[in-house]
Amino acid sequence: MTSQRSEEWKLLERMSCEFALRELRTGREERDAHPFAPLDLDLLRKGEELGFFSLLQEDGEEAPANLRALNLILENLSMEDAAFAGAVFTHSLSQMVILQAGRADVLDKLKAKAAEGGTAEGRLPLVAFPSFDAPGETARGLRAEKQDGNYLLTGKADFVVLGSMAAWALLPARTMGVEGFSFFLCPLGGEGVEAGPAVLSLGLRSCPGVDLVMKGAVSSLVGEPGEGARYYGSAADLLAVSAAAMSLGVMKGSLREALQYARQRVQGGREIINWSEVRMILSQMSLHCRTGEMLLAAVMQEMAEGKPGWEVSSRAAALQVQDMACQVVSDGVQLLGGNGYMRDYGQEKRFRDAHQLKVLMGHHPLRKLEFLRLAEDIDSH
Amino acid sequence: MAALDEPRSAAKSELEDAIVSLQALQRIPRAVLRETRQALEEAKRFNREVIRPRALELDMKMQEDPDYLPWDFVQEANRRGFYTMFIPRLFGGRGYNIPALSCVLEEMASACTAMANLVGVHYLGIDTLAASWNMRLMNKIMRDVAEGERVGQPRIVSLAITEPEAGTDVEEVELLSKAKVTCRVERVKGGRVINGRKIFISNGHLSTWHMLVGYEDLQRPEETTVMLAVKTGTKGFSFGRMEKKMGQRACPASELIFEDCFVPEENVCFDYGYMDRMVRWLGRPRRSVPEYTSQVIHYVLSTSRAGVAGFATGVARGAYEEALRFAVETEVGGKRLIDQEWARCLLAEMYKNVALARLSYVETNYANSLYGMFKVLQWKPMFYILKLTPRKMMDSVVAPFLNLGAVTWLFRKICLDGQKDEEMQRTSGWASLSKFAASDFGLRNCQLALDLMGRAGVLFDQGAEKHLRDCKLLQIYEGTNQLNRLNLFNCLIGRSLPGVRAFEE
Ligand SMILES: Cc1cc2nc3c(=O)[nH]c(=O)nc-3n(C[C@H](O)[C@H](O)[C@H](O)COP(=O)(O)OP(=O)(O)OC[C@H]3O[C@@H](n4cnc5c(N)ncnc54)[C@H](O)[C@@H]3O)c2cc1C
Repeated sequence: MTSQRSEEWKLLERMSCEFALRELRTGREERDAHPFAPLDLDLLRKGEELGFFSLLQEDGEEAPANLRALNLILENLSMEDAAFAGAVFTHSLSQMVILQAGRADVLDKLKAKAAEGGTAEGRLPLVAFPSFDAPGETARGLRAEKQDGNYLLTGKADFVVLGSMAAWALLPARTMGVEGFSFFLCPLGGEGVEAGPAVLSLGLRSCPGVDLVMKGAVSSLVGEPGEGARYYGSAADLLAVSAAAMSLGVMKGSLREALQYARQRVQGGREIINWSEVRMILSQMSLHCRTGEMLLAAVMQEMAEGKPGWEVSSRAAALQVQDMACQVVSDGVQLLGGNGYMRDYGQEKRFRDAHQLKVLMGHHPLRKLEFLRLAEDIDSH
Repeated sequence: MAALDEPRSAAKSELEDAIVSLQALQRIPRAVLRETRQALEEAKRFNREVIRPRALELDMKMQEDPDYLPWDFVQEANRRGFYTMFIPRLFGGRGYNIPALSCVLEEMASACTAMANLVGVHYLGIDTLAASWNMRLMNKIMRDVAEGERVGQPRIVSLAITEPEAGTDVEEVELLSKAKVTCRVERVKGGRVINGRKIFISNGHLSTWHMLVGYEDLQRPEETTVMLAVKTGTKGFSFGRMEKKMGQRACPASELIFEDCFVPEENVCFDYGYMDRMVRWLGRPRRSVPEYTSQVIHYVLSTSRAGVAGFATGVARGAYEEALRFAVETEVGGKRLIDQEWARCLLAEMYKNVALARLSYVETNYANSLYGMFKVLQWKPMFYILKLTPRKMMDSVVAPFLNLGAVTWLFRKICLDGQKDEEMQRTSGWASLSKFAASDFGLRNCQLALDLMGRAGVLFDQGAEKHLRDCKLLQIYEGTNQLNRLNLFNCLIGRSLPGVRAFEE
């Protein structure tokens, strides 16, 4: 890594902290009222200008370091508003799948197209993705048919994240005569794609998913036909740790707010932090946060060194941290008592976000079951 | 309170704590079972016809418009008699046995905890009123509720204790002495004047009567507690903000504001003056003033916490039912979930959580029936007199007697002074146990449902995520689960340990 690059990342990290505190903390409640309040696209544009969405733009030597920067940013953003981080993550996941398909050039083209204003009006230069589902499941609902060098997509894709605001979607679909599924890039906001209203969900409300109905939408194949599972598998290995980083950010945000509150709130004649049961809960939260940080650091280290089995570690970190986060955020609400349950404080949103983040990249128990298979594979090698 | 140097009595208490339901078997009237079944039938019909079809719609409406008040639901519950169902016939109600309330709340909460709360919180208010054994005021307010049912204008009751700076502190008398309370009640000619604010009051905006807890001397709240009934519309009393909550949205949490609000003496439910008199009249009184205050708080919470456990069991069950439906209908990883062993074990775990949550409130209600607030009502002769006396006779012959001060005195003597410390601790300890156990089970089940359902679990229209949002509150109100653990410790463990004092560390 060049020293100039390392300076850039440091800067980015600092910026993400400041951005989280300045831009994300304020207006969080209003943004979270989506779909009953409009999306704040300007905020996403700001994030884009700051470079949060283009960390994975290129493949190659810098990739592990870029990923490290992405994870730090996701963690910082999630401390204040995991929904914003959810947008960064989803776009990054799309990018990563495209990169794993060996098509860095596609990303360049999208960038160029956006620069020359070639996207549907009002849409951001982002790539939507059904990031809460295993793509194999989504592909069951979508069919791709080849026509004049392009593909036409038909069927339905549920809960495509960013589908209401992104200029493109990366969608898994099946093609006649091809085993498995393939990925297709489809422009949004034009003909052949109908986007439903934002689907109301537990958390991450300002990073909504929509159901897309594809009626012969012109799309282009990304990578080789039938290789979708392989591309997604490699992308998931790399970005599982990023999903963990988001859950970790939410946990740390929850701990920070709980600590602040416990130092100020007085009950029974003392600041509640001085009741040993409160301290015990805070300690438990802190322990989980520290364990999460250690897990992430270890995985990033293994990735950077290319240590055999890092993929399994990355997935393990995601499963573990997503689980811990649900416990931490619940305690985080609890320590604020009745106020923790109210939207005026950040804790209730973190509670909802962490539970939704647990499903990021698919069904948690199934990923656990799959984990054993992956771990066995690695062990047997 | 048993101490270690009295090993036999401590051991006896512990045995009694452990065999509450066995003791109750002999003493609970048989009609209770039939009546509970009837109450459940009504609740199930209400679920089918009103709650289930409207639960998600109302939750969505509240997200769109957080200031909406669900009057239509309250009207419907009123029309169906749910606000008088558990008011004794002596006071003009329908007179179902009170332990059945937890079962009814479970049933309703399995479909929507917020709507269950719109019914249940009214009984928190009624419980508070009843815990004072002020028979005259009970007669007045409960009959007003019954009249509201008759004329189709709901007149429900709320309870207002919590203040901005005192939440946990006002739930325990040991903490109350250190609480930063601000709701001041001043004695004036013909009544009291209230100044202060209460927050988070469930059903506040919807209630006609508010059982308000205030203090004459803010520096000595534990010695000067006053409980009053304030009617909506009273001069100097207004509603402030309605909280924006994560869940249980349909049930408003209101701010109540009192500015030189005059309440006539006849609406004073209970005050330290009474306790003071009790202490003096009884020569060798069982309790000091703060101890009587504590007893009244425990009396209320011992019954209301069983209700919260009912909500929690309901939400645990609701989450389980959603998960089961999903497992039967859905293929995940190429196979129906219900055909996968891990999913079956997870469902079994959820079933267990529901069953244990329910057992915990059943046991608490037995304790209340034998040693607590329901004791008089569940005593067989009283139970059958109240059931069998014709309503007309009850209203015209018995009811007027309730307005006599002597009747209140008698009931207080029997029910308050007659309750032993050990009995109070047993009911309160069990109530805390069921409150935190059931709400922890509830939350666990909601999380397990989300796990099982994957992405569908976090979608609003699938219902499971609402259970999770609704359930979290159950670990917070009626005393946080931490406070309830400490109360269990104080009531059932610490009492027999020498030198162990509540909230001292
Ligand atoms: C939606 C809602 C509805 C409600 N409805 C009503 C109602 O109808 N009527 C009413 O009067 N009140 C109501 N409440 C208030 C409720 O009972 C309180 O919120 C609850 O008792 C906790 O008090 P608090 O919010 O002030 O939290 P705090 O007391 O400030 O507690 C904050 C944290 O500190 C911990 N803590 C405090 N003291 C101690 C201690 N000594 N030892 C260990 N830990 C401690 C608590 O466990 C908690 O985790 C409602 C609250 C909510 C949120």
